[in-house]
Amino acid sequence: MTPVTFLLNGRRLTAQSDSTILQVARDNDVDIPTLCEHKPLTPHAACRICLVQEQSEGRLLAACATTVAQDMDISTDSDAVLRHRRMTVRLMLASHSASCMVCGKGNRCELRRIASDLGIGTAGLYRMRQPALTLDDNPFISRDPSKCILCGKCIRICQEVVVEEALGYLERGFSTRLATFTDGPLHQSECTFCGACVSACPTGALTEAHPAYGGTGDRTVTTTCPYCGSGCTVDVQVKGDTVVRAVPSDPERPLCVRGSYGLDFIHSPDRLHRPHVRRNGKLQPVGWPEALSFLAGELQQTLDKWGPEAVGVLGSPRGTNEDNYLLQRFARSVLGTNNIDNGSRLYGAPVRQGLMATLGVPETNPDPDHLARSEVILVVGADLPNSAPQLAYAVRRAVKLHGARLILLDPARSRLDRFASLRLRPYFGTDGVLLKSLAEVICREELFDREFITRRTEGFEQFRQAVSDLAPEQANQVTGVPARHITQAARQFAGARQAAVIFGRGITQQPMPSEAVKALANLSMLAAAVWIPGGGIYAVELEANGRGACQMGMLPDMLPGYDRLDHRGIRRGFEEVWGGPIPAERGMAALQMIQAAAEGQLKALYVVGENPFRSYPDPQLVREALDNLQLLVVHDLFFSETASCASVLLPAASFAEKDGTFSSADGRLNRLSRIMEPPGQSLSDWSIILRLAEEMQHPLPFSSLKDIQAEIAEILPELEPLPPPEGSRGERPTAVGSRWPSTRGIARFCIPRLPEVATPSEGYPFTLVVRGSPWGQGTGQRTGRSRQLRTFCSRGVVEVPHRAAGRLHLSEGETVKVVSEHGSLAVQVKLSYSLPDSVVALMAHRKEAPPAALFAFEADPDTGTPLMKTCHVRLERVRHHER
Amino acid sequence: MVTPHRVLVCHETPCVARGAVGLHAAFRREIDRLGLDHVSLEISGCHGHGLCSQGPSVVVEPSGFFYNGIQPPDAEVIVREHLSGGRPVQHLFHRDPVTGRTAARYADVDFFRRQRRVALRNCGRINPEKIEHYVDRGGYGALQLVLSTMRPEDVIELVEDSGLRGRGGAGFPTGRKWRFARRSSSDVKYVVCNADEGNPGAFTDRSVLEGDPHAVVEGMIIAGYAVGARRGYLYIRAEYPLAVRRVQKAIEDARDKGFLGSDLLGSGFSFDLEIKEGAGAFVCGEETALLASIQSRRGMPRPRPPFPTDVGLGGKPTVINNVKTLAFVPVIVDRGPGWFSSLGTPQSAGTAVFALTGNIRYSGLVEVPMGTPLAEIIDIGGGIPDGRKVKAVHTGGPAGGSLPADRLDAPVDYEALQELGSTMGSGGMLVLDEDACMVDVARFFMDFACSESCGQCAPCRLGTGQMVRILTRIATGRGAREDLVLLREVADTVKHASLCGLGQTCSNPVLATLEYFKEEYLAHIREGKCPLGVCEVRASVRPGEQGREFQPGGLPAGGVGANLKGGCP
Repeated sequence: MTPVTFLLNGRRLTAQSDSTILQVARDNDVDIPTLCEHKPLTPHAACRICLVQEQSEGRLLAACATTVAQDMDISTDSDAVLRHRRMTVRLMLASHSASCMVCGKGNRCELRRIASDLGIGTAGLYRMRQPALTLDDNPFISRDPSKCILCGKCIRICQEVVVEEALGYLERGFSTRLATFTDGPLHQSECTFCGACVSACPTGALTEAHPAYGGTGDRTVTTTCPYCGSGCTVDVQVKGDTVVRAVPSDPERPLCVRGSYGLDFIHSPDRLHRPHVRRNGKLQPVGWPEALSFLAGELQQTLDKWGPEAVGVLGSPRGTNEDNYLLQRFARSVLGTNNIDNGSRLYGAPVRQGLMATLGVPETNPDPDHLARSEVILVVGADLPNSAPQLAYAVRRAVKLHGARLILLDPARSRLDRFASLRLRPYFGTDGVLLKSLAEVICREELFDREFITRRTEGFEQFRQAVSDLAPEQANQVTGVPARHITQAARQFAGARQAAVIFGRGITQQPMPSEAVKALANLSMLAAAVWIPGGGIYAVELEANGRGACQMGMLPDMLPGYDRLDHRGIRRGFEEVWGGPIPAERGMAALQMIQAAAEGQLKALYVVGENPFRSYPDPQLVREALDNLQLLVVHDLFFSETASCASVLLPAASFAEKDGTFSSADGRLNRLSRIMEPPGQSLSDWSIILRLAEEMQHPLPFSSLKDIQAEIAEILPELEPLPPPEGSRGERPTAVGSRWPSTRGIARFCIPRLPEVATPSEGYPFTLVVRGSPWGQGTGQRTGRSRQLRTFCSRGVVEVPHRAAGRLHLSEGETVKVVSEHGSLAVQVKLSYSLPDSVVALMAHRKEAPPAALFAFEADPDTGTPLMKTCHVRLERVRHHER
Repeated sequence: MVTPHRVLVCHETPCVARGAVGLHAAFRREIDRLGLDHVSLEISGCHGHGLCSQGPSVVVEPSGFFYNGIQPPDAEVIVREHLSGGRPVQHLFHRDPVTGRTAARYADVDFFRRQRRVALRNCGRINPEKIEHYVDRGGYGALQLVLSTMRPEDVIELVEDSGLRGRGGAGFPTGRKWRFARRSSSDVKYVVCNADEGNPGAFTDRSVLEGDPHAVVEGMIIAGYAVGARRGYLYIRAEYPLAVRRVQKAIEDARDKGFLGSDLLGSGFSFDLEIKEGAGAFVCGEETALLASIQSRRGMPRPRPPFPTDVGLGGKPTVINNVKTLAFVPVIVDRGPGWFSSLGTPQSAGTAVFALTGNIRYSGLVEVPMGTPLAEIIDIGGGIPDGRKVKAVHTGGPAGGSLPADRLDAPVDYEALQELGSTMGSGGMLVLDEDACMVDVARFFMDFACSESCGQCAPCRLGTGQMVRILTRIATGRGAREDLVLLREVADTVKHASLCGLGQTCSNPVLATLEYFKEEYLAHIREGKCPLGVCEVRASVRPGEQGREFQPGGLPAGGVGANLKGGCP
């Protein structure tokens, strides 16, 4: 790369020799129109609109694909350039549907803009045949091939960026067109409706199916997607008070179907508009003053009568950092309790514990983009395409474009299977054995990095001793994975210079989850891949701000910044800032609070945006517990099941109606920007809490969001700087928790304990797996209220392997009773041709079939995480009269 | 003692189509029945005779007696009379359709006598499935010479000195291409033989592959040695199953003999070959599309630079040469660069191979020194039958142009043909007589380009469609004078704005006919029909031609569901 000097439209310019003519022109405010150039994609040079002329030789060059060279004399608007550019656009128009007036792309059509800029009226050519309409049946994307100019952006983004590989070219010559693999409708293809293609399409060929003619938003607000922990920045286009479309702010990070098409839950008619107070057993709408004074009175009464230990607070991993910070501060300083927890307890606590024990940090935040450098990626118990789409894209890119090897360790199949070079499918609950055996191979064959182990770790020899008893042959007996696959995986993993580990709910919701996390950290240490780009440990973060809620101290045993509650000095520091005492006793975790409520020790529960009734095991027990409470306060967007039990129900603002920040799984701090006013009398959580504190005669020293952010910045300077202005992703803060006392940059090998492998009890022959899906998230409170996601996702079903269904004489669509030792539910059967014979699957987010009903109310004693991934069930046919 | 005889029955595709397999069996039966020990029966590639429309042909060596157009019953006669009795069968000799003279030996046949066979040197003289035959005729001698006495740079210099240029059509100097690849710093490099001969009417590459596969194999090994590649691919179109089979056999035999594999002939140089079959896309003859296809991707060209000599297969430097180019290489090594360059013109060295087709007496392969006038080639082909006159000669297929009768003094030479608006192409030469309609010719090639464009870049995909549309209007008598202006404008944009060679050359048939036969276009427009009645016939038999007018509402004519399958706009 060297600087070169050349002429651009007569101007002498200098640029690096690897920059394209198009880049240089843009940098110098010279407009070169183009239809097929798109930032993250390799130059295609197929639309031929960006042709420029090299004056000395007269050659025409595609500006997007040609780099500048010394002494070039480039003209972007010579006669030849304009003549050919015009003719090319005319040709496009001559084969383009002439229905501009009824085109969903409207004024956002690039073709129309360029044609009009070039002064082209009618094409002045003979009309050419256009492909027929494509019959798609989905509520997300509508295809109109007659408007397609084959710029190939959609195909390339599908193949190179999200790597769903759903779209491609079909046929050849004039008949070439965009199609799915079998030329069938999108919903029968690999397409997951991530919307990347729609956001890239320059014409009306790909548009949002709903609303059909959404129009152009009158403003665009850049904010953060409220669904999973990927923290995608999204440009929300709003017309009046309606979201018309959501597109990725950064073309390199496309959204998923939920981010692109699932944000309309904010317009749901189910939204709460007014505070409600239970009077005479009925929730009745009241005004804010009345609700707050009632609530303050009740809370005070409970505190006076039962003490602060009888009050619990549940925060939400969907709330902002500010909401959570304020809530825990309210709980600690105003209510005086450490009975504080948040919904990420259900899947995230083992990560914290496992990593603390090994790496000495509560979280790792590797950048998904670094996977491009990984040689091996080990994905364990994570259904990435559903639970962390952005990671799935990065993994598939790493495999397809950068030649990484993917090793999958999962009893279940996923959409990543076809990208994997090695698939280990242990029996359910035996992952721990398999991980230990991988370590055995690495130790026995001395594949580890001795230098790294000596310098950066401790406890290796004991660890080596401890794993030495589990050779792959023994592991095979327990896990069912062929010994040679175990050896192969171990060799590949340890042999890679950069080996990344990704794990998810399959690890964290099984028995003794933190042990499995330790085992993964051990593996990563053996391969010396802990702290390097391309290596590292990625924990799937299921909720938008699960990280943030914990960072903000929404935990019973940790203060903001994961600071130790049991350390007097640290506590005193907080007391100084907060101006009051902080209780020293560690509080109850989420499930303990429910248990305590059921047993009558907890009298009041303050729930912000959580729905324990659906997300916790054993809904019956949860219902009893909630009914047992003297006071149940709920902030929510909707009348959730939990909300309907509330004594006081307060309408909260959604992500779209408030400002604030989210901490994403990769450690970025992303900004939420208010898109519109909250509906009715809804308020953001932080302002409700501020008002309540005031009402309780214990005002907190904040009058605005800025004040809260200022205090967070004071306590957690590593979270600074706050996100830069619109359009770009949040800055990466230094890892929160890095000042945790035990952090010395030395990792510790932990000898993981193995859980007992649960054997199916008599009469429950099937293992039930709870799965995610692209169309829903969490318990489906929001996705179930998104019009498009709801209409597309089939009703709640239990997937039954077709052979088992045959044996049981079950047919598709028939209602069946799924019975576990702890409960049962009736649900329709869907035949599956991919599940192993003894496995049935339920989706987590459908309210017709909430899997929680099948699980016992039990939690891992170490982490308080409920074991809600698998259980043993039987299927019972429902006799006719019972239906 | 009886002289040993060798009977060579042509087993190239046209002769096979005309019954060569049955003929071979008949010879076998008769020879065995009479127990003729002194006769060996062999198959051969295109006999080097090229009289492909007259087959099947049989040559009896050593005297070179030439029987043509014979059938299985004739075999009995030839075996009995000629092979056993020593009396050549006069009435089965090849009879010149022009003069009516019989020619006993093929050296006597005018068609061959006036040719200079270099690329086709072994075709028909050896059994292509027997490596010994090739070796007997000096085969693999060049390779041994190269490996034992020459450095890679010497080979490149030699090829540069010979003036050899790419026979795929563009005529890029082969030595220079090799030098670029040699210079690219990479431990892995490749050599690819482009045998995706897709031009309508061209079959020169097929004949070489079927008749003399080892020449190409040897050429590739030498190319590999020169550029530093250890692996090569032959990209052969799947429509050439016989060529694929023969080349496969050749590769295996060469491997057995130690000409392929590791440490060739003790030189330390290792090289091996693999065949990749194309899937029927014309555009895969374009080198970057070909590379994509070899790598199991959709065959679509990409912008160049980077050129394949820098970024080719798997991102590694790759030399891509045409079949005939590679077949020349061993001869050049054998006989020296000076000999080769002395054959042609200063700019275009060596010989040119054409597949002569159209309204001509002999359809077949013609190899002549570069610089030979077109008229002479037509003459070699026996001229036009039935006393009609030549109207035009079209070279280069869909990328070439038609030259009128008064330009047939033009020499066969890259630059000369290009200047006239045509191109050498990769070997097709279509001779047209007075009954041919030039609008129809242009439309035929444009229709071909329109169906075979990769569909990626807008000018080519849409421009060819528009030109087909305009040409169809003119052909069917609905054209207007303005259409000619429009046609030229569109052709111009397609030529200059397209992404790859296919698009950049596919306007040539239109531009050349507009240049030399404009009057014919005007006649169509004036008379409202094809003056020769050719266009109507073709237009009416084209399926789905009707009802393609634009209809209001933006829907394609034919309504929803009418798909694009089957051709152009």
